[in-house]
Amino acid sequence: MRLTRLLLLFAFVSAPALGGEITPPEVLTRVDAVLPPSAPPPLQNHVLLEFTVNTTGRAEDIVILESAGEAWDQASRDALAQWTFKPAVHEGAPVKSRTRISFSMPTLPPDAGTSDDGGSVDAGVPEVVHPPHASEVVDESLDGGHEDHVMTTVITERVLPKSRGASDVRIEIGQLRVVPRMTGGELLKLAPGMLLTNEGGEGHPERIFLRGFDAREGQDLELTVDGTPINDVGNLHGNGYADLNFIIPELVENLRVIEGPFDPRQGNFAVAGSADYELGLKQKGLTAKATYGSFDSQRIVLLWSPESASSKTFGAVSLQRSDGFGQNRAAQSARGAAGFEGRLSETTSFRLQAIGYASGFRSAGVIRDDDFRAGRIDFFGSSDPRQGGDATRASLSGDLHYHLGGFTAHQQAAVIFRSSRIRENFTGFLHDVQLPRQAPHEQRGDLIDRDSQAISLVAKGYGKLRKSLFDRNQELELGYVARYDLVEGQQQRLLGGAEENTPYAKDLDLSSRLSNIGLYADANLSFTSWLSLRGGLRGDLFTFLVNDLCAVQDVRRPSATNPPGDASCLSQRDFGKYREPTERVSSFGLALMPRATLLVGPFKGVTASASYGEGVRSIDPQFVTENKETPFAAIRAWEAGASYSGRLLDDSLDVSGRVVAFGTRVDKDLVFSEQEGRNIIGGSTSRLGALVQGRVRGSFFDAQAHGTFVRSQFDDTGLLVPYVPDLVLRFDGAVFRELPWKLVGSPVKVSAGLGVTYVGRRALPYGQRSDVIFTTDANVEASWRWVTLSLGSTNLFDARYRLSEFNFASDFRTTPPYPTLVPVRHFTAGAPRTVFVSLSFTLGGQP
Amino acid sequence: MKHALLVVLFASCLDGTGNRLVSFSAQASAARDIGAVAGQPLHFVTPRGFDVTLTSAKLFVGALYFSARAPVTASGATEEPCVFPALATGEVRGGREIDLLDPTPQPFPAAGQGSDLPTRSAALWLTNGDVNAANDPTVVLHVEGTATKAGTSYPFTGSVTLGSNRLTPPRNAALPSSNPVCELRVVDNIAFETTLAEGSIVSLEIDPRAFFASVNFATLEDLGTMPPSYRFRDDAATADQADNALFNGLRANASPYRFTTTP
Repeated sequence: MRLTRLLLLFAFVSAPALGGEITPPEVLTRVDAVLPPSAPPPLQNHVLLEFTVNTTGRAEDIVILESAGEAWDQASRDALAQWTFKPAVHEGAPVKSRTRISFSMPTLPPDAGTSDDGGSVDAGVPEVVHPPHASEVVDESLDGGHEDHVMTTVITERVLPKSRGASDVRIEIGQLRVVPRMTGGELLKLAPGMLLTNEGGEGHPERIFLRGFDAREGQDLELTVDGTPINDVGNLHGNGYADLNFIIPELVENLRVIEGPFDPRQGNFAVAGSADYELGLKQKGLTAKATYGSFDSQRIVLLWSPESASSKTFGAVSLQRSDGFGQNRAAQSARGAAGFEGRLSETTSFRLQAIGYASGFRSAGVIRDDDFRAGRIDFFGSSDPRQGGDATRASLSGDLHYHLGGFTAHQQAAVIFRSSRIRENFTGFLHDVQLPRQAPHEQRGDLIDRDSQAISLVAKGYGKLRKSLFDRNQELELGYVARYDLVEGQQQRLLGGAEENTPYAKDLDLSSRLSNIGLYADANLSFTSWLSLRGGLRGDLFTFLVNDLCAVQDVRRPSATNPPGDASCLSQRDFGKYREPTERVSSFGLALMPRATLLVGPFKGVTASASYGEGVRSIDPQFVTENKETPFAAIRAWEAGASYSGRLLDDSLDVSGRVVAFGTRVDKDLVFSEQEGRNIIGGSTSRLGALVQGRVRGSFFDAQAHGTFVRSQFDDTGLLVPYVPDLVLRFDGAVFRELPWKLVGSPVKVSAGLGVTYVGRRALPYGQRSDVIFTTDANVEASWRWVTLSLGSTNLFDARYRLSEFNFASDFRTTPPYPTLVPVRHFTAGAPRTVFVSLSFTLGGQP
Repeated sequence: MKHALLVVLFASCLDGTGNRLVSFSAQASAARDIGAVAGQPLHFVTPRGFDVTLTSAKLFVGALYFSARAPVTASGATEEPCVFPALATGEVRGGREIDLLDPTPQPFPAAGQGSDLPTRSAALWLTNGDVNAANDPTVVLHVEGTATKAGTSYPFTGSVTLGSNRLTPPRNAALPSSNPVCELRVVDNIAFETTLAEGSIVSLEIDPRAFFASVNFATLEDLGTMPPSYRFRDDAATADQADNALFNGLRANASPYRFTTTP
């Protein structure tokens, strides 16, 4: 039986607490609910639903607050899911809002008589007259609301920063969550041109490539989680080192990636761009998820978010371990995260976030191609099983957000503790130089043991003013960032063989105090409805105070009466004259960086943009010299592109896409040195490329594809920059629907995800090219009531591929007795097919 | 669209990162301009006036290494490490015994690997094991012949090994490794200007006459046999002039060794 009309009560209140600049959402299209003919009578006269109107005008996160019975609840929910809205507007931009609606239910059987006038169903139930509040907005075509209902519109997200052009990508994970991703870092693949490799094992941070940059573990990409910095300053493994493994993938709600330094808010390390992870949990209630997979991989995740709270209020814990594939790849880790969003007053909201992480892992490292081809080592083997590491992170951050009228203020502070230890051996037994002052020794091994500990104090904030000028809203934002890091770092070399953990030499021992003060001014000037200029100026001051605790590592004329012997850190000058083994150096540097974006549009959903920006990358403390202005890597970038966002085919498809051409120049690029196991300063480089990206979302599918082509070359020689990929293609897709039949009266929802990656042959040193990478990941899952079962696979077709490839010299003594000194191919193996099954239970929340 | 994709895929294969890895072969022989004939003794007169008939001369070369580093002078070479991996341009890791009286090419058993970075110098590794081992029993040079001067003949034999028998004490207590054993076995700073290419043949020509240029055969150890026979002691402690002169001649980087490349 079909209900011809339901009485709907729909009321919105513009909360005066939000400063009077709120425009509530408006209904554009409505859909009647359809009730199955066998449904029992409703338990009460209404169903009260709370839901979010998202920025695309759809209802999501629908929660039943007051039930009229399961069938009536489901009919109301299904109908509401098809409604379309004009989103709420806050500070001049569409925003998500949370609101409520009541579907009035007939108390008599549905065929007792209906009214065609859009009013209440005449079922003999007297209307409830509820005088509207002074602050209520009531649709005059509807009857009054239920007397017990308090209708408010709550803006559930802070206003997003304005777009910086076609390369400013805000990725709503959404249904693409079903595509298997083993780490939070892998979500970066949703951004055009991103490639992630990992030669260090499961617990080792991923190496990131973007737009022709080898960002190593984050040195050229500013990474943040809800605004809290992830990049380490002064980490010996690489300045800007960013370990994303602390992120629980299920907690990532959105990801904003700006490719290029075009936003004055972007700070240090925003060379190739920046990425901000927005954590949140939409699934309400308590979810427990267990996963078991290949190589004895085990994972347990507990997620919790209370029903009445926003997605920013959550708790999560995950534990996992794995034997890893092949040799020496075992790993175990624990993660915890908690967030809370609340309101201090009508004008001020706040968020708190705490994160904890610890991991230990073994690493296979690189193997020589000639050893593999000769059968001396397996494809998944390891040349030095002592490689591996551990990492910890603990952070506490909080922010205050204030908005009144046309003024917004935001203040954030964070304390971060990080420690990491990595043992890597790229070259075997090759670089242990026999110094004349040392006792005679053979090659003792090149296993580098690098340890870094840091405490970071961060404060950042801004004030933004909106004013109407020339009949248009103009904005000016002034902001700052202040960061102070205390960093201790040591690099030692460990003896090979049975003495596995004995250091024989110390390369570095630094105690650093580093600070960064940044100020920026950012204007959003709207000239016409289709022409805007956004941008401003940023200035950053970097100070370095570095105490080198091992400043003297050799002396030309050592003392014969007090010979230094094998000590790494000496306390003598020529002829044995005493000096302290330490040395302090201090330096500073100031950079001013203009950034601007011109936007033209939208015209039928198409916006063209052109951007220019300058950025910097601060240097490693070990390269700081006394009283010389710290050299930066200075970056100049430009791009031009167009983006489209709109709805097609009678609003049934949500379509977005972009096409961009870009260029970048870096004056002191970083090039990987296998001898150092890290990047070292090289010459200037330029990049020129283009990308295309598109995403289509419908009622039962969500698909995204992107491709990026870039040429990276050294400016002096025109030769290609090695290791960076010049062609990256990626597809992510998901299909989802409810099965036509029910199980014990409850629907069964199924979804499937597919991720495909293609990376072209990358340039390697000595004129060679790597193999291609072509992998496919897939996942299927079924949900019934509070249970979800999924079966997934990464590298579904078990492609044997080389994740990273290098050309350099090494000697792992696999072909004694003579060392090998010339460059040869090395590689790290990509993971073989991995299959995993997950079972999760959700208690509370809504199915 | 299809054409655009082909252009993109093709462009990704263009250009390079500079220099190339190459494979090459290596061979060694007696110098071809000294009148050596395979199977025949070699006759020559040394600068010290000894008339030498060399009936046997065998040199063991374990490995060859080529470097982008220019040859340095003897004083500049003091306290230099034996190995410069960062500057290596080529290597042949697998040696052989070379008949120094045979001018026909004697190929090395191992293929050479390297790059087309410009080569400036070469090194011979006179060892059949770990270059840093305290002792190595490998006879790196064996010679037999007769030296005559002023009517006195010195039939001689000599076997040279490079181990603790050759070590010289460190310069002082502060520099215990100032004379490491690897320096004995590595004859480096041999001038070799070339650019290796794929399929190149590297030829090492050795002039054994240079080994004896400074030898005073009259200081050889008399074995006390009839007819008389003499030998090189192979022991630096003996301070035999002949012994030391042969050792120094073996390790001279200028005159005995010449590298060429074809093409």
